[in-house]
Amino acid sequence: MKEDMVKLISAEGFEFVIDKKAAMVSQTIRNMLTSPGGFAETEHGEVTFPEISTTILEKICQYFYWSLQYASGKETEFHIEPELTLELMMAANYLHT
Amino acid sequence: MESELVRMCIEAATESAAAVEKWRRQRRTLERMPSHLAEALLRHLLRRRLLFPSLLEVFKYSVEEIDLRGESCVDAEWMAYLGAFRYLRSMILADCHRLNNSALWSITGMTNLKEVDLNRCSKITDAGIRHLLSVPALERLCISQTSVTAHGVAVLASLTNLLMLDLGGLPVTDSALNSLQVESCVYMLSLSLSLCRCHVSFEQSGAVNLVLFLQLSLSFYGLISLPGTNYFSLSMVSFISNCFCFFSLNLAWTNVILSGATIANVSEAFQYVETSRIHFMDLSNSSLQSFSLLRSMNALNHLNLSDTLLDDNSVEHITYIGANLRYLNLSNTKISSEGVRALAGHVSNLETILLSGTPIDDKAVSYISMMPALKVINLSNTNVKGLMHQADNAPDEVSSFAALQNLSHLERLQLEDIHIKETALCPLTNLGTLTYLSLKSVSLTDASLYNVSSAPKLIYLGVRDAVLTYAGLNTFVPPPTLGVLDLQGCWLLTKDDIARFCHKHPQIEVRHELVVPLDKRNIHFSSPARLNMKHKQAKLSMSPAKSDELFVDNQSLDDTRNYSRDIMKNQHNQAGSRSLHESITLHVIKKTPDIHT
Repeated sequence: MKEDMVKLISAEGFEFVIDKKAAMVSQTIRNMLTSPGGFAETEHGEVTFPEISTTILEKICQYFYWSLQYASGKETEFHIEPELTLELMMAANYLHT
Repeated sequence: MESELVRMCIEAATESAAAVEKWRRQRRTLERMPSHLAEALLRHLLRRRLLFPSLLEVFKYSVEEIDLRGESCVDAEWMAYLGAFRYLRSMILADCHRLNNSALWSITGMTNLKEVDLNRCSKITDAGIRHLLSVPALERLCISQTSVTAHGVAVLASLTNLLMLDLGGLPVTDSALNSLQVESCVYMLSLSLSLCRCHVSFEQSGAVNLVLFLQLSLSFYGLISLPGTNYFSLSMVSFISNCFCFFSLNLAWTNVILSGATIANVSEAFQYVETSRIHFMDLSNSSLQSFSLLRSMNALNHLNLSDTLLDDNSVEHITYIGANLRYLNLSNTKISSEGVRALAGHVSNLETILLSGTPIDDKAVSYISMMPALKVINLSNTNVKGLMHQADNAPDEVSSFAALQNLSHLERLQLEDIHIKETALCPLTNLGTLTYLSLKSVSLTDASLYNVSSAPKLIYLGVRDAVLTYAGLNTFVPPPTLGVLDLQGCWLLTKDDIARFCHKHPQIEVRHELVVPLDKRNIHFSSPARLNMKHKQAKLSMSPAKSDELFVDNQSLDDTRNYSRDIMKNQHNQAGSRSLHESITLHVIKKTPDIHT
């Protein structure tokens, strides 16, 4: 795995390898990856989320990329399926994104 | 602060009724949702008109606070679901007009409920209040402008955790409030009585035992006792027959402001007040009839009794507590020189005495001079004339102000609107510590300016409404410390006169109707180098058309004095209203070339 990539692991063990830059959209992940000593996540570039299902983590990763695009001026809509709203909301709350 | 994705999720979840149907069956997720997210979702549903009673059920384990104020749809069915909210702490139901007593039954036994707001739910009566009694944790209860009566208020006594109670607009009686006394309880209580539209609120910090009494009658008075409080404040605003009353008590009863209060029974009102600890008392404009309550206020150092019914007989009460007094305001009372005599000798530390608007005469001045610590004296608008007969039969009058020379700390003296005799002013020049002297009388002339000019430390000198002439102003040698010369209402002075004086004494700020304050002028000049000079000209200038007539020099002085004052004033006004710019230019050419250079 490249230096500028991170691996996000869902409750079911699915791994999402995404750009570090995208993952940093989440304040929680940013803190994990940048805090000076302590977190194992910092060394391996891997974060496990035992509370977040694969479906939701995938949506979260999509949001990270959408957010970067949006910030760079590409204003598209980020669609959220109503049945995902509650879980996604709680994950977003946890990830501070 | 909600994160961006959380906000987007809430938007998506509350987009439509169909969207709601997609997630409302996700019970396990809803049950473990953090309360702030659940509350945000609930608020959005309410705003989007998507909330209905049975949907409330999904929030029963997550929501801790709910605010439904003003929702006219809230009824017994809503309340039935809300009653099942296990962790609900706060329930705001203000202005929910459909809410009735039976609907309130649902909240019985809600063990976590600490706050209930039922303000203006007019269908709620005493029967509804009984349902609240089974909410043991209740700390804040608002039932203002409901249909609750004194009986309903009285039964609230069993709510022992109550910290705040809003009873605004309820017909509360003494006995109902008496029964509310709860041990180890702090109330914040507000009462607004529809009858006399009184509003009382008090807040308190720190755990103290508070017993609250509030007695209310048509003429309002408040009565509060606070054994061992550390901080307390109470403010009361009442309108009694268009009389604005303000009543506030501060800082552990050391400061008491009852300004404008209508106090019916003084001894009852202060029955529970530790009067000996009060050191700031403001009773100005209050309806107080008896001042005997003052006798026990030994610590008092600030006492304001202005605009009260105080007379010479009541002064006796002040003498008992005079030793610590530093500030005494008796303005606009009926105190006469006799009353001042009674005070003198009992107020050895008094620094400020304000007696304006009282019927005192020159005898009072000699009594005042027996108060050794005085720094500030106001004798405006009294019968003081400055001259008195030394003995009853002596033909010669002497200045009563001479006695003020005994006061070695006197800094401020106000002698406005009194029929002062000019010769009486001479002793004022010997007041070595005087920094502020304000005179205002039509009987003052140039001589008075001369009389006071040698007061060595004067910073402010006001000689208002006086018949001052340029001659007087010209020969006036101001004390070196003088910063402000207030000549407002000196109608004989022209802009030129003042201009010359300003030029001669640039360090002195002259106040007069014809002097335009610097910041109010709107004149543009080309070169900054000329700015200062031009400013001065602007300050001094007047209309050239009138300046010839109004110009007063030594020769024409006597003639000018014969002018009717009204005519002169008119001319001044006309002059003042002219275009300033025009007057400046012409002024420079015609009148004061000396300034121009």
